Amino acid sequence: MSDIQQYAYWMALAHLPKWRTEKINRLIVEILHELNMSFYDFFEMDQKSWSEEFHFNSKELNDLDIAKTELPNYSFLVEDLLNQGFELIPIDADDYSPTLKNNLKLKYAPPLLYTKGNKSLLKESSIAIVGSRNASDISLEFTKKIAQNTVKSFQVVVSGFAKGVDRTALEETLTANGRSIIVLPQGIMTFAGGFKKYYSRIIEGDVLVLSAYHPKAPWSVGLAMGRNTYIYGLADKIYVAESDVKGGTWSGVADGLRKNREIYVRKPNPGENNANDLLILKGATPVNINGDIVQREELENFEEQVKNVLSSKPLTAKEIKDQIHIDIDTRKLSSMLSELTFVVKEKDDGKNRYRLKNSELIQTNLFDSRDI
Amino acid sequence: MNRSQAEQKLQQIFNIDHFYDDQWKTIKRILNGERILLIEKTGFGKSLCYQFPATQFSGLTIIFSPLIALMRDQVKYLKSIGIPTECVNSGQEPEENAEILEKAKNGQIKIIYIAPERQENREWLEAVRNMQISMVVIDEAHCISVWGHDFRPAFRRIVSLVRLLPQNFPVLATTATATKRVAEDVRTQIGNNVTLIRGNLLRENFHLSVVKVHNEESKMAWLAGFLKKHAGGNGLIYTGTRVNTDLFSSWLQFAGISASSYNAGLDSESRKDIENGLIENRWKCIVSTNALGMGIDKPDIRFIVHTQMPQSPIHYYQEIGRAGRDGLPTRIILLYNPEDRELPEHFIKNSRPSMKKYEKVIDALKTEPMGEWNLMRATNLTQTQVRVIRADLIDQGIIKEVMYGGSKKYEYQYGAPQLDTRPFEELRNFKMAELEQMISYSESSSCRMDFLCRYLGDDTVNHCGKCDNDLQKDLHYNLSEDRQKKIDEFRDSYFPELEVETKNSNIVNGVASSYYGISNVGAAIHRCKYENGGDFPNHLLKQTLRAFRHKFGNEEFDLVVYVPPTESGDLVRNFAGKVARTLKFPLSPKLVKITATKPQKIFQNSVLKRDNVKDVFLYRDESGIIGKKILLIDDIYDSGATIKEIGRLFTKLGAEKIAPLAIAKTVGGDI
Repeated sequence: MSDIQQYAYWMALAHLPKWRTEKINRLIVEILHELNMSFYDFFEMDQKSWSEEFHFNSKELNDLDIAKTELPNYSFLVEDLLNQGFELIPIDADDYSPTLKNNLKLKYAPPLLYTKGNKSLLKESSIAIVGSRNASDISLEFTKKIAQNTVKSFQVVVSGFAKGVDRTALEETLTANGRSIIVLPQGIMTFAGGFKKYYSRIIEGDVLVLSAYHPKAPWSVGLAMGRNTYIYGLADKIYVAESDVKGGTWSGVADGLRKNREIYVRKPNPGENNANDLLILKGATPVNINGDIVQREELENFEEQVKNVLSSKPLTAKEIKDQIHIDIDTRKLSSMLSELTFVVKEKDDGKNRYRLKNSELIQTNLFDSRDI
Repeated sequence: MNRSQAEQKLQQIFNIDHFYDDQWKTIKRILNGERILLIEKTGFGKSLCYQFPATQFSGLTIIFSPLIALMRDQVKYLKSIGIPTECVNSGQEPEENAEILEKAKNGQIKIIYIAPERQENREWLEAVRNMQISMVVIDEAHCISVWGHDFRPAFRRIVSLVRLLPQNFPVLATTATATKRVAEDVRTQIGNNVTLIRGNLLRENFHLSVVKVHNEESKMAWLAGFLKKHAGGNGLIYTGTRVNTDLFSSWLQFAGISASSYNAGLDSESRKDIENGLIENRWKCIVSTNALGMGIDKPDIRFIVHTQMPQSPIHYYQEIGRAGRDGLPTRIILLYNPEDRELPEHFIKNSRPSMKKYEKVIDALKTEPMGEWNLMRATNLTQTQVRVIRADLIDQGIIKEVMYGGSKKYEYQYGAPQLDTRPFEELRNFKMAELEQMISYSESSSCRMDFLCRYLGDDTVNHCGKCDNDLQKDLHYNLSEDRQKKIDEFRDSYFPELEVETKNSNIVNGVASSYYGISNVGAAIHRCKYENGGDFPNHLLKQTLRAFRHKFGNEEFDLVVYVPPTESGDLVRNFAGKVARTLKFPLSPKLVKITATKPQKIFQNSVLKRDNVKDVFLYRDESGIIGKKILLIDDIYDSGATIKEIGRLFTKLGAEKIAPLAIAKTVGGDI
């Protein structure tokens, strides 16, 4: 049970400096559930009992001591937040998103959420459409289609409010009269412009704005990257419009795949310069521009072809590309090759060559025609 | 720390040798991190109950107090005994406030006094996040409760703050005036575990009496007599309206008594000056609305006379509580005319705008977030109405006050409840019942102190032995013909001031011949303007010229300019022509309107009035204004927006002085 009198304590704990989320969550669980204490009791303890009971190191003890003296200051901030219509949702509250908790677990689920708007959206079935800030027209078209489909099926679109795919997903959802959760890469008190822009949709209950950061935190690259985790965490399904081989979308999806999340990637057209194929190769489900699932055959075909051309001797990516007549950027092909479990890469003569894992290295070398 | 240890420190720091029992009881609990509601009469020494603990805590003590005068006095005192204390308030320059906040952040201050409104201020909220705070004090805590005599919406945020503070964080709420109902309300509002400490309320040095009169003139005459012959020392005269502070003080001056007037309409510098004058006994009396006196640290206010009964006995107890803090005999007199119930009744009945107006505000806020002024523009409601409605809507969780950059706007809330009007009706009924109690006090034949104390939940008094009833005096006053004549004489020479002076304009305060609503002047103007009654009659001209002489003497003006009409034709031009001819100043018809305006009276607030006249005037001979002294004439002065706009134009064109002269000034108007 969390009531508003506990909010100052929640903030003090949630914003302990440089504490990992998991550590904070474990401490909260320990205090409230394992030891059955209140936060009040916890902060009444002195350093000695803290170290005896919780085995904190000296940095941690010092952090907690400071947090204790800052409790009244947090009370002032909480008052300010509530007065301005923001809500606080601690991780043990009924209002907390079950999807988020389930996806991120204690390891990554933020201990405290700040929201404004219709918080019951957190309980709805939801999808996220993700992709790069500089997405191509076709990716944006895909984004719009998925947003429209989502609205038709009464689901909520989770958006990160970044340029490109994020913003398109949000705008399209709202244009289609749908509902959206905006996940901020910054503190919720620093979003005045956005609140003004989406005012009418917020008061109609179509939009929930959410932040997991200190309410006063300004935008930063770090927060924007971290925010991706929450977007993926808040969605039941993830649609990828366009991904690069690195960056937020890529690492988010890669991480999601490791956790067996439901991830749908737009199958790129030939000649597109992105890493969508690669994600599909890594196990994401390919979908067409309308979001319908498509067969993976072509990709399976790709694996077969690679096996074939490599069966005689190791080749560079460029050579493989020429032999299988695939219209794709060489660098990207390299990444795709390194995803294949039956291929290994080795450096030879200053060039990266690929070979099949179980082919006989020495023999091939011995009888390599180039050496003769 | 035990009591004797504490008293040693008390001696060292405050040069006081012991605590009263109730003081120590309070302090002990505060030092222990508890929450206390302390109700003690004026003069008990409530402030020591937080000042002493403040010196013992490691961090800062924040004192929310609505009384700027009290803040200043206490800061002075505490500094004088070496306790680093400051106050932050709107009367100080922003730079000064900023500097104080910086000091507080650096831990260089032990005690900071701030007005409750400050809890809505960005700079304060940002700064307080970085202060090490040890205690919060709510002074005049009855302001939290709508069931008290002085509910203030600004306390709402303090209540929410206190509810959010850590459980073992010391909080002290103090008041001198709380009924049981108010005390209970304050306790529940500021959270669980609040201990109530309450002393007795009898003020032994008060001589209470009620003088029955039949009209306003009798009050004026009685007052003059009382102040000349019977009243020792210096004191306060309370009136029911701002207009009356001016009227009564002018009358007293006319009758040869040194008097000054004070009301919340004055700027902060004038208020400060009058407060100082009160302390220094610069005048025999100050005529004021109840805006003056609360928390003023003057021990020897010897008398308080009310020319209008307050809304309730609790209002009355609070207002007279400011007198006689030195314990010496003090006279407390109420002038009572049974018809006086009309004014408080009017206030109570009109304390809330109609439901339609609430809907207007809600509908406006559904379109976009708005600040106060835009809300006034969008709804054409007065500032007071907007403020009342806004406070209620916030209270019911229908709207919120949100910061957009540096500005405050109001937002409708998703999932907001419907407006619930039942609390308004309940409160109205409650206030009407309290007014009846005030009338009972006025008409009572038993001990008056006993009546007041019982009303406040203290039934230990029975007989004070000092009030008119205990002394079996039945006081009446009838006006003699002589007195009546003197008052008529006064009325003929009493002219309301038009307060329009600002720093950025060469316009000066002007004068009107009379108030619009409360004399025959208003009726005469109305006949001419709206009932085709022809030119303004000669008696208005004479009266207006008298007002001019009264205010400006034999001062010469270079031009007489009149406000071009919106709808009443040539009335003002003809009138200005007569004034100009009589005074032998040249009349100029060159001020014109370049855009049609709507009549100012259809706008309910000064923002819209100002918008309506902004940049609509043109003077056809711009160079003819340079270096000129201009007499600016209008028929009715209301918000002053038109006069000020013209003043702005003429200042820009290089006028040396612009002096407004009007036939009548309306009573009221907002801001």
